[in-house]
Amino acid sequence: MKKTILEMNAITKFIFDEHGQPLRGTTVKILEDVHFDVKEAEVHVLVGENGAGKSTLMKIIGGIIPADEGEMLLDGEVITFAGPRESLAHGIGFIHQELNLCLNLDVAQNIFLGRERQKKLFIDKASMYTEAREMLLRLGFDIDPKTMVRDLSTAQQQIVEIVKVLSYDCRIIIMDEPTASLTKSEIDKLFAIIHDLRRNGISIIYISHRFEELKEIGDRITVLRDGRYIGTVDIEDFDYDKIISMMVGRKLGAMFQSSHQVQDEVVLEVKGLRISRNTEPINLYVRSGEVVGLSGLVGAGRTELGKSIFGSRTYYGGEILYMGEEIGGLHPSNLIEKGVIYLSEDRKLEGLVLDMSLKDNITMASLKRMYPKTKIDFKREEVVAQESIDKLNIVANSVEQICNTLSGGNQQKVVVAKWLLTNPKLLILDEPTRGIDVNAKSEIYKIIDQLASQGVAILMISSELPEIIGMSDRIYVMKRGAIAAELTDKREFIQEKILSHTL
Amino acid sequence: MSTTQLLFSEKVRRFVKRNGSVVIFLILAIIASIFVKNFFALNNFLTIIKQAAIPIIACLGITLVLMTGGIDLSLGYTLGLCSITVGLLVKGVGLPIWLSIFITLLVGLLVGFINGILVQVVKVPAFIVTLGTGYIIFGIAQIVSSGSDINRLPANFRAIGVTNIFGLNTTVLISLIICVVMYYLLHHSTFGRSLSAFGFNAKAARMSGIKTERLNISVYMICSFLVAIAAILLTIRVNCAQPTMGGGVYTFEVITGAIIGGASLFGGIGTVIGSVFGVLTIKVLENCINLLNVSYYTYQAFQGIVILLAIIFENVKNRRL
Ligand SMILES: Nc1ncnc2c1ncn2[C@@H]1O[C@H](COP(=O)(O)OP(=O)(O)OP(=O)(O)O)[C@@H](O)[C@H]1O
Ligand SMILES: [Mg+2]
Repeated sequence: MKKTILEMNAITKFIFDEHGQPLRGTTVKILEDVHFDVKEAEVHVLVGENGAGKSTLMKIIGGIIPADEGEMLLDGEVITFAGPRESLAHGIGFIHQELNLCLNLDVAQNIFLGRERQKKLFIDKASMYTEAREMLLRLGFDIDPKTMVRDLSTAQQQIVEIVKVLSYDCRIIIMDEPTASLTKSEIDKLFAIIHDLRRNGISIIYISHRFEELKEIGDRITVLRDGRYIGTVDIEDFDYDKIISMMVGRKLGAMFQSSHQVQDEVVLEVKGLRISRNTEPINLYVRSGEVVGLSGLVGAGRTELGKSIFGSRTYYGGEILYMGEEIGGLHPSNLIEKGVIYLSEDRKLEGLVLDMSLKDNITMASLKRMYPKTKIDFKREEVVAQESIDKLNIVANSVEQICNTLSGGNQQKVVVAKWLLTNPKLLILDEPTRGIDVNAKSEIYKIIDQLASQGVAILMISSELPEIIGMSDRIYVMKRGAIAAELTDKREFIQEKILSHTL
Repeated sequence: MSTTQLLFSEKVRRFVKRNGSVVIFLILAIIASIFVKNFFALNNFLTIIKQAAIPIIACLGITLVLMTGGIDLSLGYTLGLCSITVGLLVKGVGLPIWLSIFITLLVGLLVGFINGILVQVVKVPAFIVTLGTGYIIFGIAQIVSSGSDINRLPANFRAIGVTNIFGLNTTVLISLIICVVMYYLLHHSTFGRSLSAFGFNAKAARMSGIKTERLNISVYMICSFLVAIAAILLTIRVNCAQPTMGGGVYTFEVITGAIIGGASLFGGIGTVIGSVFGVLTIKVLENCINLLNVSYYTYQAFQGIVILLAIIFENVKNRRL
């Protein structure tokens, strides 16, 4: 029997302000009477729908916010953390759901932030770079520690974040959706690391919406629903349907559906586009009513391609035709008017204005269409936002809630809602279901299918192979900035087959 | 406590949270009414409003700029340039009044356009751009005026600002109209919404289809345009066109008004009501100092204290309410 090292009893947390204090007079609870414990050398998986309270519970362990009621015991002694530093000092590392790196510093500087290596009075840059490179290589990642974090892809940033936390000596490591933006090969590396850590007696709290992962690394699974503790099961007793019904309170229908029909009309055609000076030209097309999957490893150039099409990045030669008309270099505002949209993989920096309300964000890309005379109709706006909330099951207190305080998955749903509201004809979706729970995922797949049946063309970039396989009519695989393969036969849509083209 | 009472206190809470400067203004006004002789008098209030009317116009301009996350340090100098421009045109050159005003407003727009282009296209931080253009504008104002003022402006020109309509001074009236227009623009139009989004997160705003480049430049233009209007009214009020009118002190007074009004230097946040009461707060303070007959230097120290208190209040209210 393994020893319990961390235990939380009857934890309750009310909605809180930016200092973590409960809002005056509120009775709205994010967590209610939650129990949670962590044993030595185990991977404890935490699951639940978007907004169930997973990240909030972790923030309490990580010392970012205090619990309002209940107690936390570390090694059997009651403990409270005044801040994240204290939690870290007790050996608890926290890999956040949202990236927390300084964009204007390089990789090594980020890893050693706040504990820079020093040589007498000066910062010892040389040894910081060597140490950082060693750390990255030891964990199997090939990232130059001198690159600015702003120049890294979301996935690479996630890796840096992981490496940074691992570089502290921790007994417990919290990983809040670490794989949400990673592809298969990095995930495999991460899992190897996790197994290693566990072997060395370190405990891991692991949050994910990707169920296929859980069996591979988990020891126990705890389920939260609507801020309440539902139960904990051993991995031997893992049963997909049982976990789902614990999570959502009922059974789910089919995940993927396909009622759409591919038409002949070509909506998007990319000819000879180079995403950088020395990559091969890219050719691809998407037809009306077609869902085209774009697969590939991190850094293969999928996001770069999407952004090039959407006027948010310079590219090197080539044509981008939308319904036969060149749209290369147009401003996003013109593209949106024409019905072309790009859903960014980075919701924090490019997808949302976090300081504004849910309603402001949902209508942001449709302002011109909804109010051609520029006068805002607040009533109508509220109705429209409420419709989106209902349609996508966004968990929020009101349409006025500031997006900052929404859970990660619900933020993602807001981004999706924003783009759906623009009445698009060509959707470029970059990791559209990042951080979204199973239930909402199947909702979004349904919506994508519906749009395709109405003749909308969809180019879907995704790191989740099941999603690519389940949704696509055709798949392109990218490698080193170019198209490495095109799969048209559904019988070829197999994980191994796709992966073999990415390597 | 009954539910209606609860609702009322909730309403008060929200109002205070959104309009900190109104509360500061009221507190200050109440204290002044009790302790400062002659403060609580209709005539005195009218004086305060008259004195606030013009800076409010400029303050609304800078509020927009602050909302983008930028700043316009050339504001005070633009005021001087526009003052001497309108003076020269009306009296020196003898152009028709409407044309002189028209050209002066164009000068304002041009200044704003140049500031905006430098900030948006050349991508120099607004702080540096406007520090530089400020000196240049000041230099130009000195050159065109040869350093001297223009006194005793034509009566029909002055009539624009000093006539009374329905007992209201036209300067106050113009200021009021601008407040209403700006209120609509900022709080009821897509322009204001886009501006907030741009100030908070320029990248996300652009990728959501907001023409951020155009927006950013237009904000600097609107600001300088409003400053040009303020310059014309101020020139009329003091009956003298001066190249040194405004200056750095004026810039800071106006920025202070916006900050007391809750505008954020980091962008995204700013309100018309906040800025209006921000300026009114400053003017009440100035008024008290006058009534109490203290020196100008004491006034500046006081102003500093009020700003600090306002910012502390802002912080406390954000945390506690
Ligand atoms: N400061 C806050 N004010 C109001 N509501 C909040 C605040 N912080 C969190 N919430 C709400 O609490 C709920 C739980 O959020 P949390 O981030 O813990 O969810 P989660 O389980 O991590 O979800 P996800 O899978 O989407 O990441 C959400 O509905 C969120 O909107
Ligand atoms: Mg979360």
